[in-house]
Order: sequence, then structure tokens, then C-alpha cells
Amino acid sequence: MPINLLVRFSPAKPKAGEEVRIQIVAQHAMEPGTRRDASGKVIPADHITELNVLMDNQLIAQVKPGPGTSANPLFAFKMKASKAGQIKVTCKDLTGQTGEKTADLTLA
Amino acid sequence: MKASAGAVAGTMLANQLTSALAQTQAPAALEGQDLANLEKGLQQVLGKGFKDMTVSQQVKLVAPTIAESGANVPVEIEASLPADQVKAIHCFSDKNANPLLFTVILNGVLPYYATRVRVAETAPVRAIVETKDGKFLMASQSVRVTVGGCG
Repeated sequence: MPINLLVRFSPAKPKAGEEVRIQIVAQHAMEPGTRRDASGKVIPADHITELNVLMDNQLIAQVKPGPGTSANPLFAFKMKASKAGQIKVTCKDLTGQTGEKTADLTLA
Repeated sequence: MKASAGAVAGTMLANQLTSALAQTQAPAALEGQDLANLEKGLQQVLGKGFKDMTVSQQVKLVAPTIAESGANVPVEIEASLPADQVKAIHCFSDKNANPLLFTVILNGVLPYYATRVRVAETAPVRAIVETKDGKFLMASQSVRVTVGGCG
């Protein structure tokens, strides 16, 4: 099952030159590999290892979360909204699952 | 005579106070710090030790002093530097089994990042901003955890 990603802009339609916050939420359990289940067995690590944020196919930010990232993590960035464009987010986890989501940034 | 003795004692006390203050400021003893574990993580990720980090006012770290749950601690990092000078943001927590919480490589966005992290037990969270000219600016804050987030 691919990783579900949600992308939101705040403000939703920024003015040209305004700061816009890009908020990304990934629906993922983010197992750190240190937790134990009811029978005392260690639950194997399974967390997102790489998340790329691209604007018009150019990498603007890359996150490499370690095991110490919460379940259903939030990733928030700020950028200057100079032009409209397409934001693409891709991610990859330890078991090889990937997720992808695109969102259009439009100016007011 | 009595008055001058008092004055001398007073200045001595003041000296002691300032030296004590300087001592607490220099190593920044934070609640639950574990420099040995942190050093291990720093060497592994950055190839630098704790002594290579510069404590800076330019880095702002927003984290709760008491976390409701160690599994979900909101962390916000902001650097008051021009966007083109910041290369990456790293975040560490002293007592986690793997001290590295995350690394963010910035390439066109403003030097700001917010996320939620797991903190195993009461320990400082350290935000390290790596600049293009190879400096590491650090801000630390102790987070008290009652329910651990990694077990």
C-alpha cells in the first residue's frame, strides 16, 4: 500500500512575495524499532527515510528522518511565494514503499 | 572598619556569583543531558564533536519544556540568517537510542522547519543549523518527558 501524503498551503492562496507555509502530513506508523509488542517481541523498524519536496521538478528541500520521528509525522517548511507552480512531494520508507503527491501553488 | 570588611566580603561574594554564573553558562548544563551519547551521534552524522558546535542566538528552537507525550513532541526551528547561507538543519536528542532525530537539506526554502519527534526520556533537544561556510550553530532546550516515546 503506498504511503498516503497530504499537502496544504497556509495561506491557501498567498500574495506574490508573501511567506507561505507548506505543510505535509504522511500517514505512516513510523515504527522506531525499539518498541515491543504484547508478547515482548521487538517490532521491526519501519519509518520514512527520505522525503523530497520539489517545485516544478526542482528539489527545494529534502528531509531524512531518523527513527525518532512521530507517527503520522508533520513536515512544515516556509518559502517565499514568488511564482505559481507545482509542488511535488515524494517519500520512501525502510520497507521500500513509496508515496507521491502533487499540489498546485496558486497566487492570489 | 566593619563597613569596609562588609564591602570586601560583598565584592568577594559578587565575584563568586559571577564565576558561578560563568560556569553554568559555559557548559550549559541542561536537565538529563548525555554528552557521551550525543557525541556518538554527532560523530556518526556530521563527523564533528560537541566542542565544534557554536551556541548561537541566531537559531531559535521552539519545543515544550514539559511534553504531554514523548511520542509526539512538536519542534520548531527557525534561523535568523539569509536563506542562501543555510545548508541544512539537524536535530538531536541526547538520550534516544539513535540520537539523530532528523536532517533537513534546504535548497531554496526559508530556514524554517517544523515537525513532531519522539523523545525517549527527559533530555535536551538540540537544533543544529549547518551554514554554507561550514559553521554549526546550535540551540538546545531541555524537554521533560513523563511518558517515553520510544518504548
